[in-house]
Amino acid sequence: MESKVSPPANAGAAAELPAVSLAGIDITFHLQGGQRYQAVKKIDLAVAPGEFVSVVGPTGCGKSTLLNAAAGLLTPSAGKVTIFGQPLSGLNRRAGYLFQQDALMPWKTALANVKVALEPMGVSDAQADRQARDWLARVGLRAFVERYPHMLSGGQRKRVALAQMLIRDPEILLMDEPFGPLDAQTRQIMGNLLLDLWSKDRKALIFVTHDLEEAIALSDRVVVMSAGPAAGIVADYKVPLPRPRDIAEIRLEKAFHEIHRDIWTSLRVEVQKAYAMGEGKELVEGAAS
Amino acid sequence: MNRVKLIALQILVMVVFLGIWHLVTTTSLFGDVKTTQFFFSTPGEVLARTWKQLTGADIYYHLGITLTETVLAFVIGSAAGVFFGFAFARNALLAAVFDPYIKAANALPRVVLAPIFALWFGLGIWSKVALGFTLVFFIVFFNVYQGVKEVSPTVLANARMLGMNERQLFRHVYWPSALTWMFSSLHTSVGFALVGAVVGEYLGSSAGLGYKIHEAESVFDVTGVFSGMLILAIFVIVIDSIVTLVENRLLVWRPGQSSTTTT
Repeated sequence: MESKVSPPANAGAAAELPAVSLAGIDITFHLQGGQRYQAVKKIDLAVAPGEFVSVVGPTGCGKSTLLNAAAGLLTPSAGKVTIFGQPLSGLNRRAGYLFQQDALMPWKTALANVKVALEPMGVSDAQADRQARDWLARVGLRAFVERYPHMLSGGQRKRVALAQMLIRDPEILLMDEPFGPLDAQTRQIMGNLLLDLWSKDRKALIFVTHDLEEAIALSDRVVVMSAGPAAGIVADYKVPLPRPRDIAEIRLEKAFHEIHRDIWTSLRVEVQKAYAMGEGKELVEGAAS
Repeated sequence: MNRVKLIALQILVMVVFLGIWHLVTTTSLFGDVKTTQFFFSTPGEVLARTWKQLTGADIYYHLGITLTETVLAFVIGSAAGVFFGFAFARNALLAAVFDPYIKAANALPRVVLAPIFALWFGLGIWSKVALGFTLVFFIVFFNVYQGVKEVSPTVLANARMLGMNERQLFRHVYWPSALTWMFSSLHTSVGFALVGAVVGEYLGSSAGLGYKIHEAESVFDVTGVFSGMLILAIFVIVIDSIVTLVENRLLVWRPGQSSTTTT
């Protein structure tokens, strides 16, 4: 299962290659009782190095499934995943993943959780300790290093998870509705923190969300997926808003509203379709995930 | 309810209980005093005997034996339970093949094994350790199995995305998760180790608390039986408090487990 995607030999050519390329991706789940459920069909998506791409779509359209394919957490039934020009097999070693649910080890303190991310890289303990403290300070948790996850708020836990992911300095960042469980104010604060950290050394970032405003405020590009089953990409929009951005204030700008109106036109159709399909579909989706 | 009031009420329950016991056994209200004392002894005598035993040296020899058996049964049973729990949880075929046998073995009342263990391991401590082992093993085994099986898929996927290999996953994810489950059953498994030891001693031995109780019983020394039971109860409470201390230290990360949860 494990595999290594070694850096390309020719670094000059690598700059041209997309960080993540999904080509003709089909993902079908085999359900109990011999049923099949096709989550996504014929998806093509390329993300350039340094590009912040959001994927939006109605609930249960297979956004997370697609992200898991890019992470190597699941293998597509058909199609090709390429990472900086190298075909992916097994886990994507060059990517970091931020989960929607709590993914921290509950038996480790914030510090230990961040530190442990460096262990597979063979970093010495003293070095890992120093770096982990530094990262926790960067996400604003200097005073909370010795806390266990249950002693932290939802937003603080996300900050720890962010530090845990970023300390490894992955070349690709994958985020699956990471701020979904947080309240509106915390989401904005986390969004700004994310932009702040990301803009320091822009990595390719795929951000899955169901919140269109969040997607526009954060991204360079917004990709709209259709309602499942057999979801595909129906639209792909550039977001020409200038950076640096403050995601609370950018929502008040005229350009933001124009883009929002455009994308919502495509998204609304899919949301209504998903809604019309009703509960029967939800059940199948639930079994698939 | 405040603490002082609670303790006062708890003491009241004990006083009432001892009072009724005293009344029944020292007055002729419920029949002949000699007969009731033969069957029930008196609280004064039981307490006096217990005090005499606890201040003497002999009882500590027997307590030592019982403690040794309990600790050995717990340690060996836990080690085997952890090992097999892991092996079965990580190997679906093994688990599927042995499933009916594990269930059958666990369904067996362990007391029936005591005579056979006495035959195999003699009347020394090892037959009691074996009996305690059969009790502890299954508790730990099922808990570790469950602990490994129920590792959160998200925590596991996250650890894998962090690049952990099998050894690191074991150390940082599976092992702590299994330990949590094991510790959650610590009171039960320590208790069962003690049950194994005492029942084993009771059924055939030459030392230990179970032996002391059995010895008193065989000469119709009801005072001795009750005082043996009282000492056993004190012993269990002491061991249980130690387990609680250990647990609080080890499971400090668990919500609601510790008082270090601050705001």
